Amino acid sequence: MRERLRIALTKGRLQDKSVELFEAIGLDCSPVRSPGRRLIHGLPNYPLDVVLAKASDVITYVEHGVCDLGVVGKDTILEKGGAFYEVLDLGFGRCRFALAVKRGSDFYGTYKTRRVASKYPNVTRAFFESKGMDVDIIKIEGSVELAPVLELADGIVDIVETGATLRENGLEPIEDVAQVSARLIVNTASMKLYKSKIADFLARVERELGGEA
Amino acid sequence: MNICINTPEGTRDRLFSECLERRKVQSALIELFRRRGCTEVITPDVEFYDLFVQSGNPIPQEAMLKIIDRSGRIMVMRPDCTAPIARVAAIKLKHLPLPQRLYYEQTVFRDSLAHEGGSREIAQCGVEMIGAVGEKADLEMVAMAVDALRSCGLEQFHIELGHAGFYRALAGQMNIPADGQERLRAAIEGKNFALLNDLLEPYREANAYSALRRLPYLFGGVEVLDEAERLAGPCGSLDYLRGIYAELSAAGYGDWIRFDLGLVHQLDYYTGLVFRGYAQGAGAPVLSGGRYDNLMEQFGRKAEATGFAVDVDAVGACLSVEPQKLETIIHYGPGQLARALAEADKLPAGSCELSPCRTLDSTLNLAREKGAAWVLVIGDSEVRELAV
Repeated sequence: MRERLRIALTKGRLQDKSVELFEAIGLDCSPVRSPGRRLIHGLPNYPLDVVLAKASDVITYVEHGVCDLGVVGKDTILEKGGAFYEVLDLGFGRCRFALAVKRGSDFYGTYKTRRVASKYPNVTRAFFESKGMDVDIIKIEGSVELAPVLELADGIVDIVETGATLRENGLEPIEDVAQVSARLIVNTASMKLYKSKIADFLARVERELGGEA
Repeated sequence: MNICINTPEGTRDRLFSECLERRKVQSALIELFRRRGCTEVITPDVEFYDLFVQSGNPIPQEAMLKIIDRSGRIMVMRPDCTAPIARVAAIKLKHLPLPQRLYYEQTVFRDSLAHEGGSREIAQCGVEMIGAVGEKADLEMVAMAVDALRSCGLEQFHIELGHAGFYRALAGQMNIPADGQERLRAAIEGKNFALLNDLLEPYREANAYSALRRLPYLFGGVEVLDEAERLAGPCGSLDYLRGIYAELSAAGYGDWIRFDLGLVHQLDYYTGLVFRGYAQGAGAPVLSGGRYDNLMEQFGRKAEATGFAVDVDAVGACLSVEPQKLETIIHYGPGQLARALAEADKLPAGSCELSPCRTLDSTLNLAREKGAAWVLVIGDSEVRELAV
């Protein structure tokens, strides 16, 4: 029987927020705060090992069961999919997917096939499929806002937080695609094999989240 | 000419100990299945696409590997073993008395997304019991599922039971529109507590509200059945599970049995008891099965049925099978083939091989190169063992 649970955190902002949350429930996260060159950080006062990973790798690790738990944004879950339990909405990392177009342009007012640029082609496809619309989707890796500015695309589907970047580039969000926040995910086999350990961790997190609300 | 050296994504060559693991699992399962009165069927690797659409088992179209035959019909590499076996049982075995216990050892093919590390070829070994309904048939299947994993040499595992009727009864009490039903089911299957709360919010007043809301948590030991009854009231499927558990415990299987009332996958397909096996060391279920009483009818013969499949390589990966190391090379002189073979057959399989060399010196060189510790020399009059 494995003694310690392993959790994968999405590097960056979600990592900081996760560490804050874990500290609030009494976990000593000092090894994660000063990671050095180590890749796996064992917490001294709770049977939990932490690894840091890119968002989509968090899903990969949890799906394959090499990590029991993971913290990852709903945006990555929507885009990548996969088989795991999505047990908690952690409430932080809130933003939304939105469809944005050049200010004043009429995206829906034509029969021509629209072209949409996005870092999230699957989310984009699902959104327009649910509307029964055919669109051409172009995958862009970097600043998606550039695509309509250069007239490569009629619109973009992207994460919007404040909308400042959109405004500065003459774009405006016209429709919400999905709400996004950080989620706690659990490997399906781990949930069953380490039920009591995982239940203890979930209960602590839930109690803390409930207290905030 | 360019030689193609890679295998297609999702396929792989399996070497040595991986083969031993697979064969060990297969032979343990096959021996068990035969002991329990099952007989083997082998169905084609390629079948008509329509067969799997007709079966009602929701394998997504994009997950099937397709081939177009010369007449233009769509064929697929078998994505599932049960539908072909139901086809055989409904049509070819029409005149045999039921129940029939059939087992198979076949590969299923599923197209998975690129670079997910998933395999497109899944070696399955499983059993279907066709034409038997009721507690005794289900008991036999679950006991066989436990014995299957045990016979492979797994120690830390359990079989988890659920019942398609429990969720159906709860969901049936709510007036949920069709598209909402699938979202609700998916939220429960994915233990997505947040989404489930949102979906159920409009139904706070309904009787089944608290039980449905709690459903993803209702997994674990037999005590979850009591909790479920407190939330949902008396229910036939809970009584059924309790009865099954009592019988299994009396037969000594209780330690391996768990419950998950949130097992709500493939609800259009499963009609009663469903189960899954989880093993320490595997990140996904290694065994999966359940009762599917409506499938046979799709092929023109009404018969209840239940069965399960084991993911052979997933179980194999939880075992550690040490390949036998080469220890002895047998060098034999002219006219000594029969004695050399007799010596070789006495040693453990894989621990020796015959030398194809003419001279003893070359055999000794070969032994050094292959890391064998001994050369057994079989001459006209004597047998000598030389340390290398």
